[in-house]
Amino acid sequence: MTAAAVEQDQVFAIAEEVFAAMIDGEPGYLRPWEGEVPVPAEPLAAWVDVHGELAGRAAVATDVPTAHELTRALLGMGADEPVGPEDLQDAFGEVANVVGGNIKALLPTQGTLGLPEVASALPAAPAGALTHELRLDWRGRPLVVVVSLFQ
Amino acid sequence: MRALVIDDSRTMRRIVAGALENLGFSTVQAGDGQQALDLLESGEEVDLACIDWNMPVMDGLTFVTKVRANPAWRNITLMMVTTESEHGQIVRALAAGAHEYLIKPFTTDAIRDKLDLLGLVPAEETV
Repeated sequence: MTAAAVEQDQVFAIAEEVFAAMIDGEPGYLRPWEGEVPVPAEPLAAWVDVHGELAGRAAVATDVPTAHELTRALLGMGADEPVGPEDLQDAFGEVANVVGGNIKALLPTQGTLGLPEVASALPAAPAGALTHELRLDWRGRPLVVVVSLFQ
Repeated sequence: MRALVIDDSRTMRRIVAGALENLGFSTVQAGDGQQALDLLESGEEVDLACIDWNMPVMDGLTFVTKVRANPAWRNITLMMVTTESEHGQIVRALAAGAHEYLIKPFTTDAIRDKLDLLGLVPAEETV
């Protein structure tokens, strides 16, 4: 689910489609991040695991304020509307779920998708995992899509 | 018309239900296939069910199979709304009895187009 099975431009295309369809309503707001991605003060990650002959993980990582903005956009909330923790967890997890589901479809063997999880940090990938990070800019905010292949 | 939206993500339920309500549907929601079956068994009558695939307790494919096994529910139109986009998964869902298949991410126009194909867009909403 990385360089061996999935190309970087395919991952970007999936992320771009997810954001255009579900979050922004139109393309153009997601682009490659230029330079170093700043270390988030309040990190938040959402991921889904893929189980099967080719196991792996697809994740989206950003900071809490950006995850709040993503949640507001997904749910059509106003800019100043407070985001509850359940909505944050569910909406941010669903972004990872949709990204992961579409990445799974690129794999040469069919696997099953786990349920989305959300935490302040991604769990460590198994030793030997191939990991690929796509650093993105969503409306000026940093966001990283992480795709790992475990086997 | 009335639609049952089945997804373990409340975010996705709100998005799908909102799109359907904009098309004139009334909606009821369930967080997994078993909750949806319980609603139908309690007498909830729906014209359409929009079904996620990966859910805890009972997944969408099992729900489709159980609905299709009950003649009392033969008039319910079943549309998978899921990230499962491999050809093999689409074939499995259609073989189990789903009428249509919508892959996430989707736009509200895509939902409308699918419902139009199924003849489920209210007349005043058709162009």
